[in-house]
Amino acid sequence: MLQMKNISKVYQTEKVQTHALRDFDLNVDEGEFIAVTGPSGSGKTTFLNIAGMLESFTAGQYMLDGVDVGSLSDNARADLRNQKIGFIFQGFNLIPDLNLFENVEVPLRYRGIKSSERKERVMHCLEQVGLASRIKHLPQQLSGGQQQRVAIARALAGEPRFLLADEPTGNLDSLMARQVMELLEQINRDGATIIMVTHDPELARRAPRNIQIVDGQIADFTLYQKPTAVPVASVAGA
Amino acid sequence: MFFHYIDLSWRSFKRTPLITILMVSAIAIGIGVTMTSLSVYHMMSMDPMPHKSDKVHAVQLNTRDEGSTWWTEDDLPQQITYQDAVNLYRANVPAVKTPSFRTGYSIHFDDDSIKPFIENIRVTGLPFFEIFDVQFVEGQPWTQEQEDNAEMVTVISRELSEKLFGKESAVGKQVYYDEHLFRVIGVFDNFNHHIKYYDLTNGHFNSHERAFIPFSLTVPLEINNWGNTNGWKYQDIRTFEDKLQSEQHWVQFWSQLDNPQEFQAYQEYLTNYLIEQEEKGRFEREAPSFGTRDLTDYLDYMGVVTEDNRVLVAMSFMFLSVCLANILGLLLGKFLKRVPEVGVRRALGASKRDVFAQHVVEVSMLGLLGGLLGIALAQLGLWGVRTTYSYYSELATMDLTMLFSAPIIAISACILAGLFPAYLVCKTNPAICLKTQ
Repeated sequence: MLQMKNISKVYQTEKVQTHALRDFDLNVDEGEFIAVTGPSGSGKTTFLNIAGMLESFTAGQYMLDGVDVGSLSDNARADLRNQKIGFIFQGFNLIPDLNLFENVEVPLRYRGIKSSERKERVMHCLEQVGLASRIKHLPQQLSGGQQQRVAIARALAGEPRFLLADEPTGNLDSLMARQVMELLEQINRDGATIIMVTHDPELARRAPRNIQIVDGQIADFTLYQKPTAVPVASVAGA
Repeated sequence: MFFHYIDLSWRSFKRTPLITILMVSAIAIGIGVTMTSLSVYHMMSMDPMPHKSDKVHAVQLNTRDEGSTWWTEDDLPQQITYQDAVNLYRANVPAVKTPSFRTGYSIHFDDDSIKPFIENIRVTGLPFFEIFDVQFVEGQPWTQEQEDNAEMVTVISRELSEKLFGKESAVGKQVYYDEHLFRVIGVFDNFNHHIKYYDLTNGHFNSHERAFIPFSLTVPLEINNWGNTNGWKYQDIRTFEDKLQSEQHWVQFWSQLDNPQEFQAYQEYLTNYLIEQEEKGRFEREAPSFGTRDLTDYLDYMGVVTEDNRVLVAMSFMFLSVCLANILGLLLGKFLKRVPEVGVRRALGASKRDVFAQHVVEVSMLGLLGGLLGIALAQLGLWGVRTTYSYYSELATMDLTMLFSAPIIAISACILAGLFPAYLVCKTNPAICLKTQ
C-alpha cells in the first residue's frame, strides 16, 4: 500500500547539506500498525511528513496506494492527502476558533461533502471517541487527552486508509496515553493502516511492527506479531 | 465553501477586533477621501447626452485677423458674432442648428402676488429644444411661425412654473419680463444635469436658465447678453445696432449633424461661408479656420474638468495607496501569525488554492466593510464640499455609479493589499507550519 524506494531528503542551506533521509526503503501493507522509533533528529518526523505528502523528497520513488506521489501537483497531493490520509499530531493541532464539531468537520469540508453527510460522519466519529456530547465545546475547554481524542476523530472523519500519528501520546499523562493507544489499536483492528512515531518504547512494543530510524535510514525491523490481514474498510463507518 | 470562508473571516475579525477596526478604518478613510474627489470628478466628466453627444456640435468661427490669439488651445473664440449667428441660423444646409445666449429680466406680474425677482433667461431658436432634448411636461415650445413673427411667448421650467403659478397650469398665463408681457406656452422639465453643457462660457456649473424666449426677439426687444462678450479689435459701439453689426463674440451656436454626410456638408458650408465673409473684408486670414467639436470633445476643450481636479483625484488615490500599504502590513502580521493553523488545514486536505481563497475572502470582507464605512465618510466629505463651495453644490454628490463603485474599489484595493500576505501564507511549507504549532 505504501512503498518507498531509495527515498532521500536533503535540506540544503548555503553552506550545509543535511541528509534527513537517505536511501530509505519501506513497504507497508494494508492493515499494518507500525511504530517508528529512533533518536531525536534521526529523520522520523521527516519520514512521516513525506509519507503524508506534507513535504517533498529529494530523490527516490514513493507510491501511495498505486499512485506515484512524486509526479503529483500540489493540488493533487492535497486531494490525495484528504482522501487517503489522516493525521494525528503530538500537539493535537486543533483549530482554537472552531468547536469540536467544526474541528472534526474540517477535512470533510475540503472534500466537498454535503452538509447532512458531514454531520452524520462527524457525529459518528465523535461518538467513537466518546465526545459526542461536547460538540459545542471549544478545544481549550477540554483536557489534553480529550483534545487528542478529538484530533483522532478528526483524522477518522475522512475515512482514511492511512493514519499517520506523530507522538500522539507525547503530551499526555500515562493514563491518557494508554487510553489513546487503546483507541488507535481499536482503529487498526477496524481496518486502518497506522504509522505511529513515538519515543515511548512501551507504546512501540504494543505495535505489531517496529521500525527504528537512525541517521535517516532504517536501522532495525522488529516484528512482534504478524499483522492481521484485514480487508480495507471504512474505519469511521465500520 | 464561500460561505464557510465568510464565517471563518467573521470569526477572525472577532478574534482580533482591534486590528480589524484599524484595517477597516484605514480602508474607510482611504475610500472616503478617494470617493469624495472621484465623485466630483465623475460628475464633472459625465457625458450629459450619451445617446447623441457625438451628433451635437459646438460651432466656432475664427472671424479675426491672422495673428490674433485667444486663450484656447487652437486660438478659436468660443462664441461667434451676432451677424454670424444669424447667417448660420438661416443657412440652407442640412443640419438642426440654433443660436443661443443668456440674458436676464426681472420677473413679475401686474399685481403684487409675487415679489419681483431677477431671473436668467435664455434667448434661443426653436431647434434648441430638439438638439438638447428638452422635455415638455405641459404645452409645447413655440412654433417656427411664432418665432418668425417674433411673438412674445416664453417657455418656463417646471420649477419656475411652480414658483409663479403654484399647482395651476402655467400654459396661457401671462408674466412680465421687465416691462415686456410674455405668454407662457409651455413648461419643460427641469434640466437634471449639473453641467450647463449648452453654455460653457458663463460658468460650467452655473444653474440652468428657467425661462426661454425666441431668438427673433433679440432685435425688437434689444436684448443684451448677460455673459461674456469678447472683442479682438477696437470698434466704436454706441448703439444696440452697432453691437449687432460688430465683430464682438457673444452668441453660442450649436448644430446637430446626424450622419457623416451632414457633417461633411456642414464643414464645406462653413469653409465657404468664411471665405465669403473674408471677401467682404471683415478679417484677413491665410485659410478659413473654424471648429465643430462634438459635445464631449467640447466639454474637454472648455476644461470642464480642470487639471486641478485630475491632480486631486490622483492624490486621493495616492492617499488610498498609503492606506493600503498600512493594511498590507497589518495583514502580513495577522496572516503570518496564522501559519500554524494553515499548516493544520493543509495537512487535513486544503490545497494552496483553498488557503488562498480563504484569505482572499477575508480581505474582501474587510474591503466591503471599509467600503461601506468609506461611503459614509465620502458623504460627509461631499457635504463639506457642498457647504463650503456653493458653486459645487450640484457636483458634490454621489450618484448610483459612484455608490456602487465605492465597495468595488474598496474590495479590489483590499484584495490587492492582501495578495502578498495571502501568497506568503500559501507558500509556507505545511510541515514547517506544523512544527511551529
